Amino acid sequence: MIDTINLKKILSEEKDSKVREMKSSAYEGMAASLLRYKEEYKYTPLLRKIEKNFKSLTPEKSLNKNIEDYKGLIPKSEKFYLFILNGNYEENLSNKPNEILVSKYSNLSTKQKEEFSKSYSKYDDSKNDFFSSANTINHDDCLVIHVEKNKTLKENITIINLIDSPKPTYFRKCFIVEKNSEISFSEEFINSTNNISFSNTVSEIFLNENSKLNYYSVQNMNKNYHFNSINVLQKHNSTSNFHTYSFTGEIIRNNLNIKLEDKNCYANMYGFYAVKKNSLIDNHTSVDHMDENSISNEHYKGIIDEGSNGVFNGKIFVRQKAQKTNAFQSNNNILLSDNAKVNTKPQLEIWADDVKCSHGCTVGQLDEEALFYLMSRGISKKDSISLLLSAFSSEITEKIEDEKIKEKYETMILTELEGLNHG
Amino acid sequence: MLEIKNLHVSIDDTKILKGLSLKVNAGEVHAIMGPNGSGKSTLASVIAGREDYDVTDGEINFLGNELSEFGPDERAREGIFLAFQYPVEIPGVSTTNFMKTAVNQIRESKGEKPLDAVAFLKVMKEKMKLVNIKQELLSRSINEGFSGGEKKRNEIFQMAMLDPKLSILDETDSGLDIDALKIVSNGVNSLRNEENATVVVTHYQRLLDYIVPDYVHVLIDGKIVKSGDKNLALELEEKGYDWIKVKN
Repeated sequence: MIDTINLKKILSEEKDSKVREMKSSAYEGMAASLLRYKEEYKYTPLLRKIEKNFKSLTPEKSLNKNIEDYKGLIPKSEKFYLFILNGNYEENLSNKPNEILVSKYSNLSTKQKEEFSKSYSKYDDSKNDFFSSANTINHDDCLVIHVEKNKTLKENITIINLIDSPKPTYFRKCFIVEKNSEISFSEEFINSTNNISFSNTVSEIFLNENSKLNYYSVQNMNKNYHFNSINVLQKHNSTSNFHTYSFTGEIIRNNLNIKLEDKNCYANMYGFYAVKKNSLIDNHTSVDHMDENSISNEHYKGIIDEGSNGVFNGKIFVRQKAQKTNAFQSNNNILLSDNAKVNTKPQLEIWADDVKCSHGCTVGQLDEEALFYLMSRGISKKDSISLLLSAFSSEITEKIEDEKIKEKYETMILTELEGLNHG
Repeated sequence: MLEIKNLHVSIDDTKILKGLSLKVNAGEVHAIMGPNGSGKSTLASVIAGREDYDVTDGEINFLGNELSEFGPDERAREGIFLAFQYPVEIPGVSTTNFMKTAVNQIRESKGEKPLDAVAFLKVMKEKMKLVNIKQELLSRSINEGFSGGEKKRNEIFQMAMLDPKLSILDETDSGLDIDALKIVSNGVNSLRNEENATVVVTHYQRLLDYIVPDYVHVLIDGKIVKSGDKNLALELEEKGYDWIKVKN
């Protein structure tokens, strides 16, 4: 068994009593999360791979990176961006809007810390998920993003998460959007190491009354093992739109958990994955309808190339109190070769009786008839396949409200499709 | 232009074409008629290069090339066009984008420069008039939610865009009312010239009132059993296919 953590050392170095308490509590929950691991990671041998490739889950301390080296990675076309290097927020490489607070936890004032501790690690899935608890224990300094009430930011904020450490890296963020505020983030995970690496990211998102969040995420992970957990708590009339695009990585595991705690919440989850080069992409989502009149909408689509695996598991809970719930879910997959595989599972647990819920999943191949039609007009086989696959993805990309992001993602998808084998 | 010699075709071990020969020259219109299941659509698909079929014997020559090693895309680039009996709906790809890709790939294969957006639009507008098709329809997903008539008009629009040397119209009249039939036929007729040829595959004589053939061939049980001029179609209409079957 891997040396999962060196807890004593971590705790002895931790000066903040609240953080110390939080980490101890995550450690205590770890045993329980390990019990659930077998079922929750049935098709995704993440822990086994991590154990094989890493001696320890402990991250590298004091990397002493020269900030200047990373200036070239700052996106020139973006107005606002946050740069996070191996989990560490680099203020000097970032440009945040004045209207919002972006700060490492350690830099918060005592009063701010007091306030923030009401949220910090309150909904991070540590008790259920082994890798979430590993993040809670091992992460160093959470990035706090706070949007005060009645603020609408039109301009999207890009978050660049760069991994260039051979040791495990931990990213930890907490977003608090106060009431009547609106904000949009687009997050990119980029792995620049050429060797096997492991990144673990946990975010907690609190959406207060009447707030709205757009959250775009791209994972281009190269040889990285990537664990990504986003946990959302929504209050009255709040709206969340998640768009998750996963391309390369040894294994990518996404957990997206949304709790619709109050009435009239609205949650949209859209995802697209193109799995190739013997890799595995696993999307686990859950949406918990806890009160009346909320709507959740989920659509994930994936293309799985030769030798690769896709996993989708979508849970919908509708509690007894959550009458008049609308919950929709669908997952569609195209397998490009006999040697491609997908495991997809919708999972609904409904206790209320006056609800509308639907779910469905499909696994198919390229439509041969459509392929012949396109080719019969003179388009090469390769380009006909690309056209069909990008058309398949367009049902997901068309949900992107921001035209600039949409165009960027569509271009990215086309590039990814170029790299497919088609069996 | 097109010369088919002793063509034998099977699908899943069922023999469909059993020694079919046909010669089509530039400037000609040929009609292939025959009852259901005689192999008409198979012939059309095999010329266009559909891969589900096994050509077990014989050959298809087109402009000096034997086509057996040519994929559907390469055949299209050589100048073969198939108007589908059942045009395929493709969600997420607009006809405009589809045609732009097709036109430019064909141009590139001939060593010509691709058309830019403006030049393409100009050509497109011109061809749209031919079959009375609206741009709005073309910016939608290919054939998705189109009426039967719209689908067939879209086929002829594509034919006009690609300017093929040999057009094969597979049951283009099926599902068309009389007005749509006129529009489609007018489109086809205005594209005819001395350089190209048309093969019309149909059950009924009706279409041949509008697209008048130089030759009519009767296909029964995988073979051409009788050939003649347009009067043969009229005779068939009157006497039915049994007349020929009995004679054979």
